[in-house]
Amino acid sequence: VKILADRERCEGHGLCADTAPEVYDLDDDAIVVLLHEDVPLELERKAEAGARVCPVAALRIEA
Amino acid sequence: MSVPSSDIDLFADEVLVDPYPTYAELRELGGAVHLPANDLYALTRYDVIRSALGDPGTFSSRTIAFNPMANEALQGTSLASDPPVHTQLRATLTENLSPRALRGLRTTIDAKAAALVDELVAKGSFDAIDALARVFPLEVVADLIGFTGHVRENMLRWGEAAMQVLGPMNQRTVENFPIAGELYGWCSTVTADDLTPGSVGRGIFDAEARGDIPPNTAGHIIHQYLGAGVDTTVAAIGNIVALFGRHPEQFDLVREDRALVPAAFAEVLRYWVPIHAWGRHVTKDVEIDGATVPAGSQVALLLGAGNRDPRHYENPDEFLVERNPVDHLSFGYGPHGCAGQGLARLEAHAVIEALATRARRLVVGEEVRVPSNTTRSISELPVVEVVPA
Repeated sequence: VKILADRERCEGHGLCADTAPEVYDLDDDAIVVLLHEDVPLELERKAEAGARVCPVAALRIEA
Repeated sequence: MSVPSSDIDLFADEVLVDPYPTYAELRELGGAVHLPANDLYALTRYDVIRSALGDPGTFSSRTIAFNPMANEALQGTSLASDPPVHTQLRATLTENLSPRALRGLRTTIDAKAAALVDELVAKGSFDAIDALARVFPLEVVADLIGFTGHVRENMLRWGEAAMQVLGPMNQRTVENFPIAGELYGWCSTVTADDLTPGSVGRGIFDAEARGDIPPNTAGHIIHQYLGAGVDTTVAAIGNIVALFGRHPEQFDLVREDRALVPAAFAEVLRYWVPIHAWGRHVTKDVEIDGATVPAGSQVALLLGAGNRDPRHYENPDEFLVERNPVDHLSFGYGPHGCAGQGLARLEAHAVIEALATRARRLVVGEEVRVPSNTTRSISELPVVEVVPA
């Protein structure tokens, strides 16, 4: 799967990185950074969980 | 299939004071329930509410309040607008509220909470609402915006009124319009010089002077911070003390493992939602759980009903600090998700941390609740004994 991150919409709440630190990080401006271009199979569930908790719906998972 | 209907009045005193039995009843009737008494459709189930929050094209924010006067007054604000107009307004509003912007505040907020809780623990007994839940957010927001004097004295009254007037045109709404008007009046006339140098409030005026935000918007932004951020936070902090007092075994879990502080706050918000209902306007016929809600309808999102939906949360009526319900609905979700949630978390985490460090047990008496149109909060909560850590 691929993650689509809307960096304009991201406000840096950081819940994705708290939930799935293997997949998401925040840069110095507290904006989301994706750690994998393509999410490895073993991290797919974590990626989905992290996208789900974004409070402003800035993350989307595309199969 | 037609939408199920109920004669419940969402804004009746007894429902506002204890809405959870009503929420359970409505949720079992359907994901959308027609309420002729309020002339609206209530959305009751977790998935239905979350989908509506994520679909501003169908569920417009042009009527977030339940009376036309309040909706009219909110026109042109981020709160009441839809994408694409909303996107720019939101960016302006969140510029100073993003976790990045708030990073520098954390140490100050933690120190304030620690000092206040130290003092209360030393006293041994206190009223959790008067001495903590009302004092702490007011201090934080006064420093943030940079106001003092008569404004500070009025802010709790003003903040409460700003939420009350979002209800239907009942007596509470009518009585509170003039008070909400005082807040609006102050925000319309305040200038940079009235605010403490270095405060975020002063910074918003500086941004206006530089042309970074449109002319005459600084006062409106400050109005939104105060209207939305005072009463709700007072409610959440009161709820923290009440729930830790009622569930000492859950408080023990947090005391023993501070990593649970964020999860505990999420559970407090899930278990007792600070905001009863938030409005939306349905722009086109929409099917919800097999029934059609017609275009033009007013909708009430029952955030607290969704938070207790057994279709989404196991044992939803249990208060469990280890649950970590990060996806609760109390801050809303999506493009309009609470803009101040970063600040709310900073404040609440500071209070929980301070309580968990300094108290072993909070023995609480009976809580007093007064019905309120929008915010559900405790008015009095005696902490009859603090057992120090």
